[in-house]
Amino acid sequence: MVNILLQNFKWLNGLLLFMVAMSLAGCNAAVDIDKALEGHLKGPAKIYRHSLRGAPSSLDPVNAATVYSNFIIVNIYDTLYRYKYLARPYEIVPNLAVDMPEVSDDGLIYTIKIKKEVFYADDPAFLNGKGREVIAEDLIYSIKRHFDVSNRSQGSWLWDGKIVGLNEWKDAGSNYNQTIQGLKAVDSHTIQITLFKPYPQLTHTFAMGFSALVPHEAVDYYGREFSVHPVGSGPFKMLRYESSNYALMIRNIKYRQEPIDLSFEGYDPKLHKQYGIDKIAGKSPPLVDALKIDFIKESASKWASFTKGNEINFSGVPVEQVDQILTQKKPTLILTPEMSEKYHMFHTIEAGFVHTDFNMRDPLIGYNDDPIRDKRNKKLRCAIRSAFDWKERNDVFYSGIAVEYPGIIPPVVPEFDPHLSNISTLRNVDEAKRMMLEGDWTKDNVPTLVYGGAASVSTRQIYEQFRGWMKDIGFPEEKVVFDSYASFGDFNKAMKEAKIMIIGSGWILDYPDAQNTLQLFYGPYGSPGSNNSNYNNPEYNRLYEQTSTMLPSKERTQLYRKMNNIVIDDCVSITGLSRDNIFLWHKSVISYPDSGIVGGFHLKFVDMLDEEGK
Amino acid sequence: MNLVKKRSTAQAREENVGESMWSKAAYKFRRDRTGMMGLYVVVLYMLVALGVAFGLWGTEWSDNNGQKWEGISFQYWFGTNILGQDIFERAVFSTKTAFEVGLVVAMISTLIGAILGALSGFFSNTWIDEIILWVMGVLDSIPFYLFVAAIAFALSGFAYSMHVAMIATFWTGTSRLVRGEVIKLKNFEFVEAARAVGVPQHTIIFRHILPNTFHILLVQSTIVFVGAIKSEVILSFLGLGVKDGVSWGLMIAESTLEVQAGEFANFYAASALLFILVMAFNMFSDALQDALDPKKVSA
Repeated sequence: MVNILLQNFKWLNGLLLFMVAMSLAGCNAAVDIDKALEGHLKGPAKIYRHSLRGAPSSLDPVNAATVYSNFIIVNIYDTLYRYKYLARPYEIVPNLAVDMPEVSDDGLIYTIKIKKEVFYADDPAFLNGKGREVIAEDLIYSIKRHFDVSNRSQGSWLWDGKIVGLNEWKDAGSNYNQTIQGLKAVDSHTIQITLFKPYPQLTHTFAMGFSALVPHEAVDYYGREFSVHPVGSGPFKMLRYESSNYALMIRNIKYRQEPIDLSFEGYDPKLHKQYGIDKIAGKSPPLVDALKIDFIKESASKWASFTKGNEINFSGVPVEQVDQILTQKKPTLILTPEMSEKYHMFHTIEAGFVHTDFNMRDPLIGYNDDPIRDKRNKKLRCAIRSAFDWKERNDVFYSGIAVEYPGIIPPVVPEFDPHLSNISTLRNVDEAKRMMLEGDWTKDNVPTLVYGGAASVSTRQIYEQFRGWMKDIGFPEEKVVFDSYASFGDFNKAMKEAKIMIIGSGWILDYPDAQNTLQLFYGPYGSPGSNNSNYNNPEYNRLYEQTSTMLPSKERTQLYRKMNNIVIDDCVSITGLSRDNIFLWHKSVISYPDSGIVGGFHLKFVDMLDEEGK
Repeated sequence: MNLVKKRSTAQAREENVGESMWSKAAYKFRRDRTGMMGLYVVVLYMLVALGVAFGLWGTEWSDNNGQKWEGISFQYWFGTNILGQDIFERAVFSTKTAFEVGLVVAMISTLIGAILGALSGFFSNTWIDEIILWVMGVLDSIPFYLFVAAIAFALSGFAYSMHVAMIATFWTGTSRLVRGEVIKLKNFEFVEAARAVGVPQHTIIFRHILPNTFHILLVQSTIVFVGAIKSEVILSFLGLGVKDGVSWGLMIAESTLEVQAGEFANFYAASALLFILVMAFNMFSDALQDALDPKKVSA
């Protein structure tokens, strides 16, 4: 009877879906970009329409702290280095730099030559509106800006306390006319950087949006408006920017001509030919005339815009659509015939991971002055971890296609240990109850677990799932509560003030080196630093400091893995899971998208087929 | 003989009904079938809410025992949600949430509205009236949901921020109505008489005048009650509502993603229960308003 009723109401379901899709799609009405492009493009133009899940917070490189800001900044500005378009694992290569840096034997002096005759895009900020040549001083100026307190840089941590004289320059009042001992231009196209101690990740920092080269003329000309008026020497030039809606860019006609060498970029016919990548060989980026990036937070709206056919060309797949578009999820993902006829698909494990940390500064669950309670707290944390069900988390929230693994070194970095025991990721309720018993924890004396998160449906559901698991090991319902914050900013503030007991969070890697995730548990980086768990283990800290000056080597990898084991043994974080991102794009587009390490760098390689498919 | 006796008893009852406004209103309300139907539904919901409050049912609303998006079955009458939670249990538990919000907001905002409205009306055209009217004018000039969201946002760490937000906005409507009624009543002879024998002002306001506005307060509280339930759903949908437990608003918010995946049970369950209660309350409220309308009652 019920089934008959439901069948009769199928039309109602359809109507409801239609209404939701239409209303959400209506929120993102297509803008008339033709008008904006009028006079900038000649003849039939290639316009690629990308989409992002969020809007950039700023387009000033000193504040390129979000994935979205970084994504756009690397297309407007130049960085010294970038990552190969197609090679995986990721490989860093010169971009504006002529070659990889020359490093002195002691690892303290880096000498980097930059390419000659590279020009900034034309802009009213320059004399007569003509962009001038990029010089070594521009990098020095751009790094100095991070240490000018008036800019409130979010990227200064990359070089803080590492370059000789830089912090002193800041302390002396950030006078741009003053030279810095460890940051100088040997000549107009050669930069020399002197470090206090070896910093193997330095080259990676020059592949980030934070280190993009900025012309001082544009900063002076636009002042506070510079964050929305980017002027760089990158492959694209900003034409129109609506901070919460879209960015419309056109090809920078002054961008240097560098024909694509596919074998250098890591081309593998087995992997890449299916996407038509071979067709871009020998062409000089950027390959499209205009690039429009829509910022569409609402997944349904984005999906509607993508599947409509004539709006955005690229979209990630919302988790709720995964089961609809795939015929198979394991061992490999296979699109339904209807979808594969229209779209290309690529999926990749994210350059980051999802984890749930315990706040070790909270005496109820973390460090406690009473040594007995301290040990009991560890038992409690381990019991909670054992009750945690990563498989179910994966099935419910990530369509079962994410990768679960132990510890804090994600699969995307070369230091990942595929042979590490995964016992810490497996749900074992009996083991959890045994540890509760060993710690003398009962339903009457367990502390109230406070799970913090920004107010959103998914965060609340993640908490409710967590509460269900805790109830299974004896926590009363009222002793697992949700601490809801009105916005992510409020949540982040509370996290940085170490006010949250249990913190569900994620981390996107800045560069493909496990050091970037290991630093999340380094004691001196405790709140308000990046170590949100406020973990402070002397042995871990010692190993972190030891490895921080080591170049990649087997020995360093061994030490990294040792640190990973320490975090696992101390039950300081419930880890880990890396999401599998699925991307779809129209068949008229030649692309190999990436949302992580390569990120926005891939856009200059995107090409569009004409009507004849050429 | 018997027939004559029966008719005269009925006549007598009619005559007696005419003696009191309340009994007359009760009689009139009982004759309003739509209103009575609304009342029965509201009472049914209230019993469900009481059962949840006393732990008789809806106790498994937070258990994640099922599988993701299970269909309708004897075990799960409305199926399960993305976490494998029983949608029926959650919908039933949400009845308690709705009544809790509705009752708290209706009672407190009616109380505030009654007191300030009475003061404003009694001291009309004085500085007291000016201040109260100014406060009400300011509050009313702010778009309702914007104001409620702002307060809920500002007090987001506080478990009852949503209640505070709604009370802060809902009392003004009641207050305006009471003010008007008090302005009318304060010139009646019974008030003049009380003044003449030296009854203190506060006694006149709260013991002589205010009880005569109860019919307004009763109707207004039912309107506020249903308004609070609807607002709770919207605020919870926006992430500014219920902190602990579950509500129809939260269920509808959860369903936004589920609907895109072709799962509608959460949405239908919450929407249907909300719709029936709001409809019933509106019917009840309309009938009550008609029954207590002095013009119609005395007619």
